Amino acid sequence: MASRRFLSSLLRSPLTRSPPEFQFPTYVQSLFFSNLTSRLSPIPVTGFPQTNAFSRVESGNGLARLASFQHDYVHVPQNRFMSTETNSVDSSSQDSTILESEVPPRIKFKRLDKTARHIMQILDKEAVEEVKAQKEMPDIRPGYTVQLKVEVPENKRRISIIKGIVIARRNAGLNSTFMIRRTVAGTGIEYLFPLYSPNIKEIKVLDKKKVRRAKLYYARKKKNALK
Amino acid sequence: MAATFASRCSRVGRSLFGGLSNSSPGLFTKSHEMTCGNYFSQQQRTFIQMRTVLKVVDNSGAKQVMCIQALKGKKGARLGDTIVASVKEAHPNGKVKKGKVVYAVVVRAAMQKGRCDGSQVRFDDNAVVLVDKQGQPIGTRVFGSVPHELRKKKHVKILTLAGHIA
Repeated sequence: MASRRFLSSLLRSPLTRSPPEFQFPTYVQSLFFSNLTSRLSPIPVTGFPQTNAFSRVESGNGLARLASFQHDYVHVPQNRFMSTETNSVDSSSQDSTILESEVPPRIKFKRLDKTARHIMQILDKEAVEEVKAQKEMPDIRPGYTVQLKVEVPENKRRISIIKGIVIARRNAGLNSTFMIRRTVAGTGIEYLFPLYSPNIKEIKVLDKKKVRRAKLYYARKKKNALK
Repeated sequence: MAATFASRCSRVGRSLFGGLSNSSPGLFTKSHEMTCGNYFSQQQRTFIQMRTVLKVVDNSGAKQVMCIQALKGKKGARLGDTIVASVKEAHPNGKVKKGKVVYAVVVRAAMQKGRCDGSQVRFDDNAVVLVDKQGQPIGTRVFGSVPHELRKKKHVKILTLAGHIA
């Protein structure tokens, strides 16, 4: 659209100039923002809404994403210095954390898929931090004996207690999962849970054992493996 | 219990949404043990299909049954499904005798079953509870643990008889 092209051309000029230019970026931001979103009405024009624009544009197509990303690359350092009150602003569902900036002094144009991957990583980290801020969960590693209070949605909204040894943990950002094994009434049961699942109400670490492996699948063969 | 425990082979790209997509098509085999198992040394647990021998965990008199048919599912039965089975081994005085064709509900499966919240559950063996055509259990007691999945499949009676739920 015309606004996007206009914006990209606007962005080209600050790229060639030396970075610290406070007035121009904020003008650009508000312009960009008002073009895109009509929902958010009085926005403080500080560094913070930038991540909103970031996430809004994510659903658009690649060029807009790239434009906003370059936008970010240009403006992150200035907004870091500028905005000291942003951290307290957000309590709503929008992304809140400041993007970590490894801004090189000269803006390089990365391949689009690398850019996209980087964006996904950042979004993932933000989502993880959001969940971590709300729920306090201990570190879970293989070899720990753990007791969970899970709310099972299978038509039974009562909290059941699941206990067992963590035999595996898979780190994948928000989709990190861990596996618990337990022997009940003669047979072993294994559960695989997403770490940041909202159904897990409480995690308590009961015991820690020293293991020399990350995945303790050998415990399946043995009767009393972890003793 | 002379059960053979063996682990799943590690899969790439385990998805979070349900366990159904877990067995990626490349690794999915109907046979139970890979012939090149030396360097994997782990098994891929799959469905319960014809000729699968299962343990019976109620007091109906049977001890082992062999699956003849999985009633739902093209590839086989999973946790919570009903199967048609033939009794291979039975207690001397029981309600069912050897050679009888019965219906059974799978209450423990070595293949993982995904739940709607993204978690998965897996047991160490395959076990069934014998039922009649209406779905009511033949026996009066159920041993061991049963999963929550039975509630959705309307096997409430088995859940109430069970000692431990999942």
